[in-house]
Amino acid sequence: MVTMDPQIWLAAFFTIAATSYAFRDNVVFKFAEYTFIGVAAAHQIVMGVKNIRDYGWTKIMEGQIIYVVVFVLGIMLYARFHREYYWLYRFPIAFLVGNGVGISIRAAIHSDFIVQISETAKTPLITGDALGTINALITFVGAVTAIVHFIFTQEKLHEGAIGYIPKIGRWLMLLAFGASFGNTVMSRFGMYQGRVVFLLRDWLQII
Amino acid sequence: MSIWEKLTGLPREIVMTLVMISIIIPALNPLGLPLMTGQMSQDWYDAVDALPEGSVILFDIGYGSGGYPSLGPGNIAAFHQMFDKDLKIVIMATALEGTLMYPLVMAGVDPEGNYGAVYGEDYVFIGYVAGTQTAMAGVLGDLHDLVTNDYQGNPISSMPILDDVNGADDIDLVAYVTTSGDIAEGWVYQAYSQYSMDVVGGTLSMMTTSIKPYYDSGQLLGIMDGIKGAADLEFLTGHAGDAIVSSDILTFSQTLVLIFIAVGNISWFMSKKEVKS
Amino acid sequence: MDYKRDIPLAITFLVGVIAIGDYYTGIEAVTQTFNVIKNWGIVLQGFALGLGAVNLFRVHGRRVSARKEGTDWVFSAVLLIMLAVHIVIGLMTGQYEQGETYNWLYNSIYLPISSTMYSSLAFYMAYGAYKVLRARNFDAALLFITAVLVIIGNTPMFPAIYPGFFHMREWIFGPIVSGAYRGVRIGIGIEAVVLGIKTLIGMETGYLGRR
Repeated sequence: MVTMDPQIWLAAFFTIAATSYAFRDNVVFKFAEYTFIGVAAAHQIVMGVKNIRDYGWTKIMEGQIIYVVVFVLGIMLYARFHREYYWLYRFPIAFLVGNGVGISIRAAIHSDFIVQISETAKTPLITGDALGTINALITFVGAVTAIVHFIFTQEKLHEGAIGYIPKIGRWLMLLAFGASFGNTVMSRFGMYQGRVVFLLRDWLQII
Repeated sequence: MSIWEKLTGLPREIVMTLVMISIIIPALNPLGLPLMTGQMSQDWYDAVDALPEGSVILFDIGYGSGGYPSLGPGNIAAFHQMFDKDLKIVIMATALEGTLMYPLVMAGVDPEGNYGAVYGEDYVFIGYVAGTQTAMAGVLGDLHDLVTNDYQGNPISSMPILDDVNGADDIDLVAYVTTSGDIAEGWVYQAYSQYSMDVVGGTLSMMTTSIKPYYDSGQLLGIMDGIKGAADLEFLTGHAGDAIVSSDILTFSQTLVLIFIAVGNISWFMSKKEVKS
Repeated sequence: MDYKRDIPLAITFLVGVIAIGDYYTGIEAVTQTFNVIKNWGIVLQGFALGLGAVNLFRVHGRRVSARKEGTDWVFSAVLLIMLAVHIVIGLMTGQYEQGETYNWLYNSIYLPISSTMYSSLAFYMAYGAYKVLRARNFDAALLFITAVLVIIGNTPMFPAIYPGFFHMREWIFGPIVSGAYRGVRIGIGIEAVVLGIKTLIGMETGYLGRR
């Protein structure tokens, strides 16, 4: 029979409230939506404070006084809400952006560019069997024509007979996007079924 | 209004109700259809299976409540395999809610009860580390310089599992399960690109196409492809769970989507024909 | 020199170059400096997490104090109450998100709403597939074909009847998705590198905010 656990009742209420928007906008959904935003923001603050304690405050307690500079920079981030001194927040943001950009582009060159191109170049197009050869050709043609499709600075590349190269790229990308859509359908239903199973199993206890 | 025009314009409420019914019915009456495992999930399983006993895995819980219904079961199945093989697992979270997913996952695995695992010796959870790729670079660079305590505030110096784990050189495999593209790419960049480490990744099915180039080029050894991949892992590890249960629900709901697509297209073409004639 | 913009741009450049230098050079001094930068970055990210919440306080606080008709100020009040309650519960005990009450609230409120909102797009996918997924022209037909074949391959019933559907799905994910997305991935890589370099040399300054 239906559970008496208040936690599950509350979770069931919010599940149904969030689902109700699929049918039409309503007050119950709005209540759930605003609650969610508030709780999500609160969770960010709680985890942020914990992160500062674990990776900043403990370092100061260990004697690394230089981390006081990090705390000052962190507080400067909140200057963005000040009308006059908002520019102070640029210093910590510059640090974060420089760090983030540097960390990601150094490896992106390797992973997204060099490795992908070398794999495309070194994969043999003619294999032992017909299907393998067809697959290798499709992969190679797909990779090359998709890259050519994104060259918009050369207009002549998209005109005339040579314009079929980027066109083939577009067609293969559309085929791939269709596959992505198919997977997205499974993904969303896979997520929602979890909530339905919760309602039937944990709340109503009929399965 | 012709029948075709009516079929093209079914109200939203009816469509949504039918979707709801297509999910509820198989949940109440499961069919138990057989599963066919995909190659990407098989490769994930094989990559973990190839590790000798005592190998160290760095596992990132990079998802939250949004991804839990799809990825949680796969995470549980992955941990079952790792504990079964007596692998050492250093767990971290690069997602804000990862620390709240951890107890849910561990309740499903019960390492102490099922495998006799000891926290601090066989597995440890260092908690949430902010910064995504910065966090990854920090953990792989010098773990002990960055992390002082585990997620409950216990000093990691008292954890035997981390005595010999200082960074990338001491980790045999990086595994992550995430709903974030940044995290999925980030581990490839920071673990494979920087340190040439072995990496396996789990993502939502809709993200699989975008990270597949990494799998094809060997930067990822395997991919857990959303709920399908989770079901595959449950099947391969022999620990049936919520993902396998979901496959029946997916049968009905996706068949309904196919019917909608067919009805939508046929009625659209027929009503166009009527207009022309 | 406008020190309010030029110094931050210089910081971005310097930090970025050290991060890149750590990867491409084996210089110990650069690696040590980058270790410090990494650790500082993690603490700063912790501070940055609070920015969204502070902004919410400002926006919704103004709405509640103004109490204008048609602004949903009541819901803004709900938001602020939930925000405050969760922060107090999270920080009060010193256990943060590990606290029993916090966990209870998370499993009762945040988890169900978040996972349902995230996944209720399933309804819109079904409705969108019904209303919009049409083979109107050649391009749309291409997308349509693989979408249908992949959905069939993903639906366990069809491969159970005829395994060829599953192999078709696997084949689509083989050469077609691999080839096309490899091209896309290379494009993304080029774009990310170019944007990154532009940011480091000061050509992209959007992150600095208003002048």
